Amino acid sequence: MSIDTIAVLRRADAPIHPAPESFVRKYLFSIDHKVIGIQYFIAAGLMVLLSGLFAEAIRIQLTSPHNTFLTPQQFNEAFTFHGTLMVWFGAIPIVTGAFGNCVMPLQIGARDVAFPWLNMVSFWTAPPAMLILLSSLAFGAPDAGWTEYPPVSLQAGVGIVFWTVAIFTIGIGATLTGLNFLTTVVKMRAPGMTFTRMPLFVWATAVTSVLSLVATTALASALGSLFLSHVFNIPFYDPSRGGTVVLFQHMFWFYSHPAVYIMILPVFGIVSEIIPTFARKPIFGYKLIAYSTVSIALLSFMVWAHHMFTSGLGVWVTLPFMILTMLIGVPTGIKIFSWVATLFGANMRLTTPMLFVLGFLSTFTLGGITGIMLAAVPVDWHEHATYFLVAHIHYVLFGGTLMGVFAGIYYWWPKFTGRMMSEKLGKLHFWLTFIFFNTTFLPMHFVGLLGMPRRVAYYDPAYHSINLFISINAFILGAVTLLLLVNMFWSLKKGPAAGPNPWGARTLEWMISSPPPYYNFKEIPEVYSGPYGYGEPLPYSAPYNQVSVTPSY
Amino acid sequence: MAHQVNTIDFRRHLDRSFWTATIIMGVISAILMALILIWPIGDNLATAADSAHLIDPIFKFMIFFAAPIFVFVNGYVIYFARRYKHRPDEPADAVGIPLYGVVPLEIWWTVLPAILMIVLGVWSAIGLFRLYEPKPGALNIESIGHQWSFEFRYPGMKNSFYGDFYLPVNRPVTMNITSADVIHSFWVPQFRVKLDMVPGMVQQLHFTPTEIGTYPLVCTEYCGAGHGDMRTQVHVVSQADYDAWFAQQQAKATATAQGPNLAAGNADKGKSLFEQKCSVCHSIAPFDQKKVGPGLANLFNDPQHPKLVDGSAPTPENVAHILQNGFTGPIGVMPNAQANGLSSGDIADLVAYLKSQSK
Repeated sequence: MSIDTIAVLRRADAPIHPAPESFVRKYLFSIDHKVIGIQYFIAAGLMVLLSGLFAEAIRIQLTSPHNTFLTPQQFNEAFTFHGTLMVWFGAIPIVTGAFGNCVMPLQIGARDVAFPWLNMVSFWTAPPAMLILLSSLAFGAPDAGWTEYPPVSLQAGVGIVFWTVAIFTIGIGATLTGLNFLTTVVKMRAPGMTFTRMPLFVWATAVTSVLSLVATTALASALGSLFLSHVFNIPFYDPSRGGTVVLFQHMFWFYSHPAVYIMILPVFGIVSEIIPTFARKPIFGYKLIAYSTVSIALLSFMVWAHHMFTSGLGVWVTLPFMILTMLIGVPTGIKIFSWVATLFGANMRLTTPMLFVLGFLSTFTLGGITGIMLAAVPVDWHEHATYFLVAHIHYVLFGGTLMGVFAGIYYWWPKFTGRMMSEKLGKLHFWLTFIFFNTTFLPMHFVGLLGMPRRVAYYDPAYHSINLFISINAFILGAVTLLLLVNMFWSLKKGPAAGPNPWGARTLEWMISSPPPYYNFKEIPEVYSGPYGYGEPLPYSAPYNQVSVTPSY
Repeated sequence: MAHQVNTIDFRRHLDRSFWTATIIMGVISAILMALILIWPIGDNLATAADSAHLIDPIFKFMIFFAAPIFVFVNGYVIYFARRYKHRPDEPADAVGIPLYGVVPLEIWWTVLPAILMIVLGVWSAIGLFRLYEPKPGALNIESIGHQWSFEFRYPGMKNSFYGDFYLPVNRPVTMNITSADVIHSFWVPQFRVKLDMVPGMVQQLHFTPTEIGTYPLVCTEYCGAGHGDMRTQVHVVSQADYDAWFAQQQAKATATAQGPNLAAGNADKGKSLFEQKCSVCHSIAPFDQKKVGPGLANLFNDPQHPKLVDGSAPTPENVAHILQNGFTGPIGVMPNAQANGLSSGDIADLVAYLKSQSK
């Protein structure tokens, strides 16, 4: 498709294609961004649940200092699968593939993404990758953690080969999605939607796409070198034959640090949508939030070595990475303060998505603070690779990403199913998640500072009671997630009809019916101003000004 | 943007209730900050080296300023959520105040955290240079990580050794650390210092133990099946005790190890030893049921695998040789008797046990 054709598609008189009829083209190999988004959501959601089961297995093992529930080998496989599934097969596909696909084209008033066929191809890299990874369980699973540092990862059996191939495969999809979304945001916005009139989720998705597009290639070289080392015995990481083991860490983190932001920036976008909607108030400091997203993304390429402060970089390499890492605290702080300031003078509806966002503000702030603590190298020398680090990443990825994803699910579920979820059940889900999240992960900070390293199947009996406490809370936290599944099934069966705009939001996706028709917008709207001007007339052209912004729930 | 920020509208909300809430948060923060200031970290985790005295204040500085940030963010979220909650008597389309931003406020919360970061950055940088600084007259010790034990070499000592190691109090130490196989990490929580033991590279860790005591040395970098048990102890002792230990260690090294008396092996003792020392990597099962290494059920009589890993015939003497010296080859690594903590008698017991399991 040439650039000219894309430009034509933007126009209001662009032809509307008939929806596909056959089951295969409608649900399986669909090129509709909404169907692909839901496919991503289901596939990645299953991986998150599976990954959660591995986490529970880890916690069962740690209920006593020398538990025989798992052998050390099985324990190592369990935490490897927990991390690998959560990062590449759960979190990243959900925040980019699922939310990006479902929401972004609607928010910019487009009928689809720029390259619908490519979008379908991107999704279909994921299921084979998942099968390859999971089948490694039958052939000797990878066991060196989601980071798979050589040389220890090269001692494993053929499982490590499956691991590299699986992630390489899904990485192709992630790169193509990045390319696709970036083109979509740049070329396919509705007329009048300038960059500073874009919803903040679109900002986040665009910036995330740049990260996916650029950083995943570094991961490819890390994976490729591991594959070649294992299969062809090429000595990249064998010092006795001239290799250097730290090289892998550089390539791995050059991707995996931006990947942290691939997992969190879209969630910042989700939060920036939900807060103004339920505060019924324009977001505080729109431009500063948007530009801080960009600056976080730029900085994220310059801080990878802060994962390697103990790896032997020497003082003069460590120093700039430390300073740049601390700098990221500034734009992140701006975002948090702006979100809190948006609540000031609000007319607040404490719905389930809003509660999850408020919970996010609390837990993510703590995750951010411990992030700064890990950035200060002398202190990092004590904290690195201990349970303090485990606590930090879970405050950022569970308390941050997953809380935001829950908020996003409750928020956009009515849009894509046409039915409301139970608010009562949703609020129960929030409170139990929030409480047991903190009781599970807060104690990990202390046990780590006191001397417990991560990734250990056995530990010093001195930490027994605190680990038992963490495990019990982790079991409850896992069980609580079932409430979300119950709520989904209840909603699909009995949920009341949602209508186009149940929350009274002002972004474009709420101006069309729920679920949206195949072509999204019968007429492409024209945009007159920014998306969060609560109390003012809608900033869109004619037909959409008739949709109510008064919430029905 | 065409929107006008109605400043009177927003000032209206800065009323008594707002300032009361702010003052309460301020008081809570102040109490927390005071508690952090007087908190003796050493009571929770001994401060046993100069490096710990250098690192703890930076940690304190960070939680000192983290406390108010955490209290104010959470406090305002809770306060705003309660105060500005939509009331049932308000119309359904009621909205909040049209406040798009307050530039001076945004400048403040950009500049203040930036200043904090600069202070923290400078302090950490000074700490970093001091941690990397070699000290004159330091005791140079080598430590080599193995799967899964720490080996130590002392200047003037004939042999290297595994297990516990000793340091004299108040004497600067330079640990020269590396690894023989995969990446390990050298961490003594009470010294607050940690560096990875990277194969093919020697890193130096400088510190001075300042408190007599026994502290754990922990591997924190994932290193395979035995990672969870890769721990030993460091004893910080007086110079006299150190000299005594050194002499004793030297004497041990001179007493050459007798070859194991295989005839005296006890299979029952061997069974419990196997469970403690070998079962992480080996099982009593057919060869193909591998953990890290092969299953050893038919070690002495397996037509499919007529030779041991080093190519020798499966005789008790050759098995004892591998147990004594370990094995390093393309298919993997098995630690030697020193690393596994096996005496000559233990080896005899293990051989007897393995023999009793072979058909």
